[in-house]
Amino acid sequence: MNKTWIVTSETYLRQTKSWSFLLLVLMPFLFIGMTFGISYVATPNKSKSDLAVVSTDVGLRTSFIKQSGVATTKKYASVKAAQKATNRSDINGYVVLKATNQQVSATFNGPNEIDSGDQAKIQRFLATAQTQLNVQRAKLSTTQQQALAVQPKFKQQLQKKTASDKAAKTISFYILVFFVYLILTTYSSITAQEIAAEKGTKIMEVVFSSTTPRKYFNGKVYGVLLMIVTQLLVYLLGGALVVQFAQHSRITAGLWQQYASVIGKVLHNLLSINLLFALAAVLLYTVVSAFCGALVTRVEDAGKASQPVIYLNLLTFVMAMAFQGSPSSGVVTVFSYIPFFSSYLMPLRLINATATMPEAIISMVILLATVIGSMWYIGKIYGGLMLQTDELGFWGNLKRGLSLK
Amino acid sequence: MLTVAHISKNFGTLHALNDVSFDVHDGEIMGLIGQNGAGKSTTFHSILNFLKFNGAITWNGQPLTADDYNQIGYLPEERSLMPKLTITQQIVYLARLKNQPAKVIKPKINDWMQRFAVKGQPTDKISKLSKGNQQKVQLICTLIHDPQLIILDEPFSGLDPVNSDLLKQAILAAKQRGAAIIFSSHDMSNVEEVCDSLVMLRNGKVVLQGKINDVRNQFGRTRLFLTTDWTADQLADLPQVSAVKALGDQRYRLQLADETAGPAIFDAVTNGQYIQEFSQQPPTLDEIFRTKAGGSNHE
Repeated sequence: MNKTWIVTSETYLRQTKSWSFLLLVLMPFLFIGMTFGISYVATPNKSKSDLAVVSTDVGLRTSFIKQSGVATTKKYASVKAAQKATNRSDINGYVVLKATNQQVSATFNGPNEIDSGDQAKIQRFLATAQTQLNVQRAKLSTTQQQALAVQPKFKQQLQKKTASDKAAKTISFYILVFFVYLILTTYSSITAQEIAAEKGTKIMEVVFSSTTPRKYFNGKVYGVLLMIVTQLLVYLLGGALVVQFAQHSRITAGLWQQYASVIGKVLHNLLSINLLFALAAVLLYTVVSAFCGALVTRVEDAGKASQPVIYLNLLTFVMAMAFQGSPSSGVVTVFSYIPFFSSYLMPLRLINATATMPEAIISMVILLATVIGSMWYIGKIYGGLMLQTDELGFWGNLKRGLSLK
Repeated sequence: MLTVAHISKNFGTLHALNDVSFDVHDGEIMGLIGQNGAGKSTTFHSILNFLKFNGAITWNGQPLTADDYNQIGYLPEERSLMPKLTITQQIVYLARLKNQPAKVIKPKINDWMQRFAVKGQPTDKISKLSKGNQQKVQLICTLIHDPQLIILDEPFSGLDPVNSDLLKQAILAAKQRGAAIIFSSHDMSNVEEVCDSLVMLRNGKVVLQGKINDVRNQFGRTRLFLTTDWTADQLADLPQVSAVKALGDQRYRLQLADETAGPAIFDAVTNGQYIQEFSQQPPTLDEIFRTKAGGSNHE
């Protein structure tokens, strides 16, 4: 079997089986689940929010329950039973429907004012029922009925740059930047510390007596890449489930409909080439983190190994935040082509439509070339760095490591 | 057969290896001896291609390729395993890196653990094992794939006599199946007991090499052990005796200036009578090591 693949699978399985990885991946869902759970508990129970419908006209009662769209319960059919249920707070109240003298009426009885949405729905139902009653009474022909059924139309045509568009950009930017910052910090730490710890245990001599340092290094990087791909897949799959749930849950369905346009734009901004920038950034940071990890000589210093990369990531993050309001700035334009910075700044430009797709592709090509170049070079010197175990300081370790191979 | 031909390696101004050459044949055990810093580990690292070096190292007449490394079993001087893995996971992972399928290696693990008397279960984590047992697991990792070239850097260090014997048995078993074996050691008794040949390094140079008996004999049979009622002064007066050391209980070690003096001393001391001990020997490896591997004044 290909030895690179053996190292990749070993790295991947060892890391993904750890509790820390499971927590890392599941944490957002735990938060979302907790938020939903708390909202669910805080929102009145569905059965308690139902209204009872009471009417001597069975047909009217049935059509109200079926057509009004109001959450109702069939359980209480008499005023007395509905009143008792209301008193027990089993239901929010009850509606008494009447059709007397060719006029439909509804009376709400309850401890609190009826929800405005429900009130509107009841009024719509009454209007429809009254219209049907009127049409029957007027004995109109089919043509006349069709003529009366014609409804007015309302359309809205929004300009391109609307408030929702701006909100979508801001939200997309923040989600993307914080996501990239978090995964880069996380994976840089994991990589640098694992490699420093391996070097500290001196097992590399045994490993390098079996496979080449380049194969081993590539296997490590691919293992970490598989981890991030797994995390992204879990997020995409889980995100799709959350979207499905949010669209249909009574807690969030209203909000979803209200902000459907913004949410759609945010998802579009996230599930685009911006995701590729995030992936390429993880690769580049992983490679550089491995390099930093290989420069440490003691297990105790494993924690320090990731610091240079974490500071670099922090610098690029701060820069992206600072220029968030001015995506067309010359500085942003220039740095959006420079690897390490481009993973934050090109998505910023793309979200704000200050960069074209060809520009993004050029930046991506530069980023990928840097990834491949660094993998090649660090793979070449990796053996020397990992086998150099004298404590000579950063530059001393580097110089000695380079002289071995 | 492993051939190391004229290899040299410098670290800055330090000459770590200087024109080192030797062969290790299949079914042969070679001891690489020398003081700390003599170049033993650097030699091993050169064979394993960890270092750039001048010279040539070949395996069966060809430069070592990636495939050849599957036939190597290497035990580094600094013991190391992955503490988070179980014994089985560790052994299987390193064996897979030697192109050995897990299904071939797993059934062997229990047998090897028994052979080295490892105290623990295959499912135990490495971090839970004692230092000695971790060392045994590492030895298993080195040998379980039946390598054809075995390189052991100070394999006996840290092992008690019982475990040293277990390791010697494993080394001899590998020799029986035709493996070429090199190991370094500071304990000359182990080298003398197990090795067929030796190479002694000093400051990166080969100062001694050959079959064990040939090496010892080239120093002459100048050590004479005898048990007699003679006094030390009487023994010192014998011809060609340069030094006498009392070993207690009428036992002495005589240093001869010339090994040919042995028969004359035998005649003088025995006078045709039985004596309990008269043994004329070359210097031990330990004595040779102290002489040859030490400072330049011993050269």
